[in-house]
Amino acid sequence: MDKRVIFAVAGSGKTTHLISCLSLEKRALIITYTENNHSHLRNRIIQKFGTIPSNISLMTYFSFLHGFCYRPIMQLQMNTRGINFRRPPQRNFALDDMRRYRDPSGRLYHNRLAKLIEVKGFLPVVRARIERFYDAVYVDEVQDFAGHDFNLLLEVSAANADMLLVGDFYQHTFDTSRDGAVNGSLHNDILRYEKRFKDAKIAVDKETLSKSWRCGTTVCEFIRVHLQINIDAHEDRVSEVVNVNTQELADQLHRDQNVVKLFYEQHYKYGCYSQNWGASKGQDHYEDICVILGAKAWKQYLEGKLHESVAQTRNKLYVAFSRARGGIYIAPDKLFKQFKT
Amino acid sequence: MPAIKKLMLQNFKKFDSLMLEFDAGVNVLIGDNETGKSSVLLALDLALSASRSRVETIGYESILAQAAVRAFKRGPRTLDLLPTLIVDVFLEEGDDQGFYGTQNLAGAMTDGIRMEIAPLIEEFGATILQLLREDPDNFPYEYYAVKFSTFSAAPHVSYRRPVKHLMLDSSRIDSEYAAREYTRTVFSFNAEPAQRYSLENCYRRGKEAFRDNELAALNAELGAYQFGVRTSIRSNLETDLIITKDGIPIENRGKGEQCFIKTEFALRRHEAKGELHALLLEEPENHLSHTKMKLLVEQLANTAGNQLFIATHSSHICSRLDLRHALLLGSDQKAGRLRTLSDGTATFFMKAPDNNVLEFALSKKVILVEGDAEFILIEEMYKKYSEGRSPQADQVHIISIGGTSFKRYLELGKLLGINVAAIRDNDGNYQQHCVENYEGCLYNGARIFADQDNSRSTFEIGLYQDNQAACEALFAAGRKKLTVQEYMLKNKADAAFELLTRKADELVAPQYIKDAIAWIKE
Repeated sequence: MDKRVIFAVAGSGKTTHLISCLSLEKRALIITYTENNHSHLRNRIIQKFGTIPSNISLMTYFSFLHGFCYRPIMQLQMNTRGINFRRPPQRNFALDDMRRYRDPSGRLYHNRLAKLIEVKGFLPVVRARIERFYDAVYVDEVQDFAGHDFNLLLEVSAANADMLLVGDFYQHTFDTSRDGAVNGSLHNDILRYEKRFKDAKIAVDKETLSKSWRCGTTVCEFIRVHLQINIDAHEDRVSEVVNVNTQELADQLHRDQNVVKLFYEQHYKYGCYSQNWGASKGQDHYEDICVILGAKAWKQYLEGKLHESVAQTRNKLYVAFSRARGGIYIAPDKLFKQFKT
Repeated sequence: MPAIKKLMLQNFKKFDSLMLEFDAGVNVLIGDNETGKSSVLLALDLALSASRSRVETIGYESILAQAAVRAFKRGPRTLDLLPTLIVDVFLEEGDDQGFYGTQNLAGAMTDGIRMEIAPLIEEFGATILQLLREDPDNFPYEYYAVKFSTFSAAPHVSYRRPVKHLMLDSSRIDSEYAAREYTRTVFSFNAEPAQRYSLENCYRRGKEAFRDNELAALNAELGAYQFGVRTSIRSNLETDLIITKDGIPIENRGKGEQCFIKTEFALRRHEAKGELHALLLEEPENHLSHTKMKLLVEQLANTAGNQLFIATHSSHICSRLDLRHALLLGSDQKAGRLRTLSDGTATFFMKAPDNNVLEFALSKKVILVEGDAEFILIEEMYKKYSEGRSPQADQVHIISIGGTSFKRYLELGKLLGINVAAIRDNDGNYQQHCVENYEGCLYNGARIFADQDNSRSTFEIGLYQDNQAACEALFAAGRKKLTVQEYMLKNKADAAFELLTRKADELVAPQYIKDAIAWIKE
C-alpha cells in the first residue's frame, strides 16, 4: 500500500497529477474540500473519461464525512437530521454526552462529527468500508484539514488502500473546521506538520510537485524573496514586477479588463475585474495580475519585510501572487480608494 | 444480476415483524388464505418501485398494520409510541457504496433498500398531539409520510432502481391501471432509453403532421380557433401503446389468456437482454385452465437468469417448481423453508402425479392413507371415535396419497413439524413392511399404524373380519363365484362407499385405525 502526502507548490499541476492517477480499472475515491474544487475536478474527470466512470467517486469532505462515514453506520441509532454548520455553544459537555455533538434540533455540529465517529469506536468500520469499495483514496487540498478532521484523515489513512494526499502548506487559508484547541497549532510550523504525517506512516514527498508550471522565473523569485516561501519554476520565463506609484497607472489598471485586481477583501466594491486573495485559490486562467496591498502591508513590502506579516495574510498573499502567469503589478490601496463604493 | 436476498417487515399489513430469506432463482410462497402471501409480494413491489405516489394511492391506512394501530389506541397514546412501518429489502452486495450500510432492521452491513412510513413528528408533533387528545379513536394517518432510502441512509429515488422488477397480479389483471402499468414496464425494458425517446418523439411529430396536413383544410376556414391534436402527459406514446397478439389487443382476450401472455411476454424478453431482474407473480393459476397452467409452469421452470417470486395456492405449481423453493407462510407469522428436503424427495414431488402436497404442508395434523377405500371411510370412523366431531373441526386433514410413498411425506412432515398418523396395510409382514421399513424416517410427531396380525394383510380383510355381519348383509346377495371378502377386495372403493352410505352406524374400525385416530387427536 502506497501512503503518500505530496507537498506541492502553486501552479505545479496538482489536479493534473491527481487526474493522471485515475483509471477505469482502479476503484478510486477522491475527496476535496471546497465546492469550487469539487466542480473543477468533476469537469476534469469528465474531460478525461467522457463521463464519470462508475469506479470513481468524487465527494466533498462533508459529504464524505456525513454520507460515507457517519450515515451508513450510525444514522438510525443517533436519529440525526443532517449537519449544523454553525459553531456549537460554549457550554461544555462530556465526551460521551450526545449534546456535545448534536444540537437540540437533531443536527450534528460539523466540527465535532469526526470526533463523534472516533468516540463511538467506528473508525475500524469506516476503514473497512473504504477497503470494501476502493483501491485508492485521493485527498486534495489536504492543507485545509484542521481540527478533528485532520485526526480523522490520519486515522482513515491506515485503511488497507493506496492513499495519496495532495496539498500546499502555504496555501492554507481555510479550515475544514475547528474545535477549541484541537490541532490549533497544526499549521504553525511546517516541520512539525510534516512529522504528523510521518508518524502516521505516510511518506512525505516534496519533490514531485515542487516546481510551478504557471509561475515563471521572475514570479517565483519574487515569492521566494518577499514571502520566503520556496517555489521554483519549470520554465525559464521572465516577466515584469511593477510597483504602481502613480494614480495615472492605477486608473489605467482599473480599466484594464485583462488584468485581474486582487484585493484583501470586498473586491466587488471596487467596480472592476477583481477577486479576493484567498478566493482566487484554484484559479488558473489569469495572465497579468495586480495585487492591492493595505497601508501596513505596502509599508512592509517596501521595506522588504512582507514575510513578517501574520501567517494567514502571508498565505493569502502567496495564493494571490502565485496566480500570475505573466507579470505582477503591486499597488497600495490608497490609489484605489476613490473607486470604492 | 442483482438478486433479492432477504425481506424484513415491521408493521406491514398483517405482519408486526417478518423475516424471509430468498433464493436467487425461484421462490414459491405458499400458505393458507390470510397468511400474507400477497402482502409479501406487495412489500417487495412497493419498496423496489420506490414510488411515493403508488404508496399514497394504496393509502397508508391499508398497509400500516392494524394490530399496531389498535395497540397504539389502547396504550397511553404518546407521540413516541406511534407505529412506524418498515420494509427492508436486502440485496446481493454490489460495487455501489450508496447502497451499503448498517441502516436496516438487522443492523447488518450490506446492500439494500428501505421503505419507511413514519409519522412526521418533527413537523406536525403539536398538531398530532392535539388531534389525539380531541378524539381518542382517531389515528393520524394524514400526518404520516413515506420515505425511501438505502441501507447507507441515503435517499433513494426510483430512477436508480438497482433491481428492475415487474409485478403481475392476476386478480387485478383486467383493471385499466394494471394493464397500463404493465405495458409501460414491458415497453421500458424492451426498448433502450434512446430508442424509447426517439419513438416518443416520432409519435408526437406524427400527430403534429396529422394536424398540419389533414386538419389544415378544415382549420383554414376557422380563423383564430383551430382544431389540434392532444399531446400531453395523458396522451402520448406510452398511454396509447397496447400489446397485441395475432393482431388482437391482449386486453380484449380472456383473463386467463391475458395472464398467460403477460407472463410469457415478460419472461421471454429477459432471456435475451437481462433487463428484468425479478418477476413477481400473484396467484398465476387464477383464470387459467389446467392445461394452460401446466404450460405456464413449464415456462416458469425453464426461465434462467431472473428471480421469480410466486404466490400460489396450487399444489401443481408449487411441487412442479421444486418444493425446495417453497417458502411456507404460517398463520403465526413464521416462515418455513423446504430447502433441506432431500434431492430424491424433491424430485419425487415434481414427477409424481398431481398430489396434495400443499394441503399436507399447510396442515398441522394429518392422517395419511394409502387408498380410496380408506379415504372414503376414515372420516366416518373419525367421527365415531371422537364424540361426533368431524376431523375438520379438530383441524385434522385426511390425505390419500395413492400408494405407499409415506416416506416422502414423512420427510416433508419432519421438516415442517407436522403431526402425521400414517395408516397402511401390513401386506403380510408387519415387522418388515411397517416397522423395519420406516426406521430412521419417523420422528416425534409421526407414527405408522398398521395391523400387527400378518393374516389381516389389507384394510379390507380387517374391515370384513371386524364387520362380518354388516358386510355379509350388504354384499352376500347375488354373489355367485366370489366370497364376500373376495368381492370387497376386487371392488375396494365401491364396497367402501356402500358401507358408508348404508351401514355407517354399525361400522367398527379395526383396532389400529382406532389407535391412529386416538393418537392424532392428542
